[in-house]
Order: sequence, then C-alpha cells, then structure tokens
Amino acid sequence: MLNQEDRLDYLIRYLLEEKPNGQELAQSELNSMDEKFELFRGLCNVREAKLVSDEFIETQDAFLTEWNHDRKITRLDDLQPVQSQIYLWKGDITTLAVDAIVNAANSRLLGCTQANHDCIDNIIHTRAGVQLRLACDEIMTEQGRMEAAGKAKITDAYNLPSSYVIHTVGPFIDQRGISPIKEQLLASCYSSCLKLADEQGLGTIAFSCIATGEFNFPKKRAAEIAIQTVKEYLSKYKSKLNVIFNVFSEEDQLIYENLLVNE
Amino acid sequence: MKKRANFLFIEKQDDVYTVSMTPELQDDIGTVGFVEFVDEDNVKKDDPILNLEASKTVLEAYSPLTGKIVERNDKAVSEPALLNSAKTEENWLIKLSDVDEAEFNQLEDA
Repeated sequence: MLNQEDRLDYLIRYLLEEKPNGQELAQSELNSMDEKFELFRGLCNVREAKLVSDEFIETQDAFLTEWNHDRKITRLDDLQPVQSQIYLWKGDITTLAVDAIVNAANSRLLGCTQANHDCIDNIIHTRAGVQLRLACDEIMTEQGRMEAAGKAKITDAYNLPSSYVIHTVGPFIDQRGISPIKEQLLASCYSSCLKLADEQGLGTIAFSCIATGEFNFPKKRAAEIAIQTVKEYLSKYKSKLNVIFNVFSEEDQLIYENLLVNE
Repeated sequence: MKKRANFLFIEKQDDVYTVSMTPELQDDIGTVGFVEFVDEDNVKKDDPILNLEASKTVLEAYSPLTGKIVERNDKAVSEPALLNSAKTEENWLIKLSDVDEAEFNQLEDA
C-alpha cells in the first residue's frame, strides 16, 4: 500500500505531466512533505476543469481521506446551540462533518484558481478534490452564464467530511462601501442557501462568513444581516434546519458572540 | 406615474408598465457587458426577468410586479452598455401588461 508521500509523488507527477512545461518544473528538488503538498495544492488550484484518470482520482481520494481525517472532525452533536437551532463555532469549516457547508464562491463558480491562495474557496476545493471543480463546471456549462450574486448551487462534497457543499456568490464591496442593493444581495445569499438546503431535505447547514473575505463586506454589518436573515427564514418557513455560523477569526467570533449570546 | 421596487423603476402609461434601471442599480453594478432575458412571458412579482453581467457584479433582476412581458429591450442584448444610460428610452428592460393596478399603486413612489 502506498503511503501519503508516495501518493503525493504520484499526484504531482500526474499534474505536471498534464502541463506543457511540466517537465521543467518536475526537475526542481522537493524534499519535505510540506513542499510537496504546497506544489500539489497549487497544481490542483490552477488545473482546468477537464477529465482526469480513474487512477488519479483513486490515489487523490486515498490521500485526501487520510489528510482530511487526520484532524479533529466536528459534528453537530459536539456543539451546544446558542439559540434555538442556531450554533456558533470557530474553526476550519473543512473539518465539519455536517450535511452541508457553504462556500463563499465567485461568479465563475469554479473555485479559486490562484495557486495556494489563502481563501475559503481555495481550501474547500483543495480538500474536496478535483472532482468538485468538475461538478461545478457541469452546473455552469448547463447554466450557460456566470452565477449571479445572492443565489445558491449544491454539489457533492467529495473528500470533505461534510456531505454537500452549497456555493453562493456574495456581493463585492468596492471603495464606495455597502449599499441597500448589496445588503439585500448578502441577505439573499443566506436565504437562497437555506431554501436549497430545505429543498434537499438536509438537517444541518454551516455558513462561513459570506462576502467578508476577498469581497470586503464589513464584518459586523455582514453578521447582523446573516443572523437576521437566518432567524427570519427559520421562523417564516417553520424550518427545522440547524444552522451553524462558522467563524474563523477571533474578530468574527466576538462579533457573532455579541449578536447571538449577549443580546 | 412612476414607482420603484426591486431597485428598478416602473412607469405606467395606459395599461403598459415599463420597467427600467435606477441610478443606484447602475452605480452598484458598473458597466453592463452581458444581458440575457428570461424566455417566460408570464412573470410573478419577484420572479427573475433577466441576468446581467457587469463590471462589478453578476446580477439577476426580479420583476417588481406580476404581469405579462409584452416587450423586451432586445437592443440591450446586442449593446449591453445601453443599460448604463441615464435615459429611460435606452435603459428600459421590459414592458409588462396584465398588471394589477392596485399592486402597482402600492409600490413606493419614485
């Protein structure tokens, strides 16, 4: 049986051989697992949505399964609600074993294409595997146009501990700041994801802080909109969904705690 | 009479209601580069009426009223930047008929 390093070596070789100038890159000496992993991740990030061999998928899945589960996996049972049906949890969204996690996507919906970029879209796609981009590409090809802000699409989560990924595109905030339209688009992101989760009969959905990263939506206002939209949705539709607000930074945790716990 | 809803203007003339871009929406989305209208003629309030790809965002616009689409601004499909114009005769999106006048009257005045 291959160990993780053997698998990585195979995956890197496959990805390099796909590239026109791959052989040159292959010459560079990589020693540590970290270096190899960085190269593997970057190659996956820039890889176009195109067919991949069964052997690659098999090896990648074996590698990612071990890599993804070699961390503490969190389930809904591990958490305490802060309000009825509402949970707040700080950590890496790719360690959540829940029905669906929500990805902050961009309007191409194919995942971050910048090698090793430190964004949630990148790490979700990396840890899910190259199948996720292929699944998104299929949805986009069928749709025939870019994904509008405020909507939601669902795919399998492949190698992630969650069952599904729901992809939503937040509003992009430029130097002129937020506007009523952008606030409404952010609210639509949350309501569209919840609606889709209910349509699919899911029990638990975990939201990342949509639009507050690369898209610059002010964090506090975004949290207010997120919480208000979720509460209104749950009560209006009598939804039984459990909703996890997943924060990654200390700053976001404090913002959500103030709004959810200390209100 | 002119009203507003869903970040769009609605102007009534006889029994035809013309839906057009508001300056706020134009400012928010930037230069429009792609326009695609829905094929469906009968729309309910808040149903999608078109998709816009603009420099700052990709957006689906929603009908401010229930009614029947009797005309689409097809010129904007070949020349999307028309939707950035300040003139209604250029930046209009669709014309609706079979609209409940009471529903229109309830909308916010523009």
